[in-house]
Amino acid sequence: MGLNEIASVLKLIKSNPLSMLGIIIVATFIVIGVASPYIAPYPSDAWGYSYNLETRLLPPSPRYPFGTDEMGRDLFSRVLLGARFSLIIAVGVVSIALVIGVVVGLTAGYMGGFAGMVLMRLTDMFLAFPPLLLAIAFAATLGRGLFNVIIALALSWWPWYARLVYIQVNSVKNLPFIDAARIIGLSPVKIMFKHVLPNSITPVVIQAALDMGSAVLEAAGLSFLGIGVPPPTPEWGLLVSQGWALINSAWWLSFFPGIAIVVTVVGFNLLADTFQEVMDPRLRSTMVMRGM
Amino acid sequence: MPINREYIIKRALSLVFVVLGVVVVTFIITRVIPARPELLWTGPHATIEQIERARRELHLDKPIHVQLWHYFVDLFSGNWGVSWRTKMPVLPSILSSLPATIELVVSAFILATAVGIPLGISAAIRRGSGVDSVVRIFSVVGASTPVFWLALLLQLAFCNWLGLLPAAKRVDEYIAISTGFKPLTGFYTIDSVVQGNIPVLIDVLRRMFLPAVVLSLYPMCLSARMTRALTLEVLSELHVRSSIAWGIPRSRVLYKYVLRNVIAPVVASLGLSFGYTIVGAFMVEIIFVWPGIGYYTAMSLLSYDYPAIIGSVIFVAIIYSVINTAIDILHATIDPRVEL
Repeated sequence: MGLNEIASVLKLIKSNPLSMLGIIIVATFIVIGVASPYIAPYPSDAWGYSYNLETRLLPPSPRYPFGTDEMGRDLFSRVLLGARFSLIIAVGVVSIALVIGVVVGLTAGYMGGFAGMVLMRLTDMFLAFPPLLLAIAFAATLGRGLFNVIIALALSWWPWYARLVYIQVNSVKNLPFIDAARIIGLSPVKIMFKHVLPNSITPVVIQAALDMGSAVLEAAGLSFLGIGVPPPTPEWGLLVSQGWALINSAWWLSFFPGIAIVVTVVGFNLLADTFQEVMDPRLRSTMVMRGM
Repeated sequence: MPINREYIIKRALSLVFVVLGVVVVTFIITRVIPARPELLWTGPHATIEQIERARRELHLDKPIHVQLWHYFVDLFSGNWGVSWRTKMPVLPSILSSLPATIELVVSAFILATAVGIPLGISAAIRRGSGVDSVVRIFSVVGASTPVFWLALLLQLAFCNWLGLLPAAKRVDEYIAISTGFKPLTGFYTIDSVVQGNIPVLIDVLRRMFLPAVVLSLYPMCLSARMTRALTLEVLSELHVRSSIAWGIPRSRVLYKYVLRNVIAPVVASLGLSFGYTIVGAFMVEIIFVWPGIGYYTAMSLLSYDYPAIIGSVIFVAIIYSVINTAIDILHATIDPRVEL
């Protein structure tokens, strides 16, 4: 993916209101994720260390836009802070999975031979699982906790990136400039990281960035199943799950954190759609026909 | 329709290796990664004697390759451990809850294709219209919605607020007993049809409706998206355009050229979304108290019942590999263009 494609993505985003919406949602999510401890109206409620029995289970009102929970905490503040945990999880999962995937895919692709085959067979063994199922097995083994959730999801995702990198590396490694680097005597490690990797990484990194939406969704699923982030963390999946017990008397407890998940994931998926249209040559040709 | 025997044998053989690989990965997760696997296996309230016994039973005192060998032997002889929660062996519990889950997941997939494929085609033939936009937005939003959240909200709205549908379980015990319903196969829809038991059939369908709708959402969105893209591709091919120009009725063109070219790859892609759907079933089943594998696994997760969790993971992963192999073979049989 070169400058031309990036330019055409930008053009497509400008012309398509849905892609624009995706950009706005993702940007808002990142800003809230970074700033939430400072902008939440009730910061101590957000972290979950306070309680106030006088404001228990109040329905949404101007003072508490998302209502309050059974400890009298402001749900709006908690959902805002939840964005930070989702952001941490999403960035953590994607970057760790990407690092493992790049190392495995690059080594297997560039070295080839027996070692390469073993690495890719190992990758295939992990790919034989539904990703969230594998994450459940890891999470159940590692125990609850923010860090463990990130590790569990990353360990179930890296094979996808390993395979993507592997395919990319195979299409690059026999190009003349790599041969040239080999002839002038550069070490294999140097060729791999300085020449092969920069020329094969862009699509993988874009894919990984867009996968952050799925990371938010899957982390919420793990929390709902009781093997994610422990309470009182205001993680969105955990908030939905905690609201479940009181859903008949306080629907807002589960409703608003879920809306936050949907909106965030929709944002990432709208962007993913835009990139896919540019990267998939078949769909691109129809775009050209339409004069875009 | 030519059946390529060589391809089927090849795929079946590779399935054996995939299943062995799945078992090896679970061995790594449960026995190599934890510092003391026997502690996970026996749970937080185990006595020292129980832990010591588990250590011997799991062969943790032997070298790692011997452990792997015993792990295989135990799995394939059906010795999957005992659940702490139910005090019952894991494998029989999973097998007995299998029909409930199959019934639910199959209904979800029927619903997904029955709605998703027509949606995708109608969006594609009116490309750029309002219908197209609605389908595209629906398919993005649907794929971004957490199933557990949707299940909770629909249950709240339809069962608790509107009172239109029952909220939980597969069948009302009172109706079942008073009409003499016998669950022979475990598939209640089939059982009630075979026994001509209309009240039970209606009750079963009413209870299955919401969980099946929730589970069908993701594969529905996926098949709508794929159908739309594939239909656009087929419609732009020259032979299709010229047959439209010749005046062959559109419905005939759609049926003869489009539907035939679209269905095989869409069905093939559903195999992959099965992985997502079955984990979704963990959450949906526990919300609708649907006594299938999902309910069993989710209850095990919530009570941290390790042998039951790992048993369910292995079982579901094996089913997933088998289904994907079956779909590959089916796909190759319907669609001769698939590379053998």
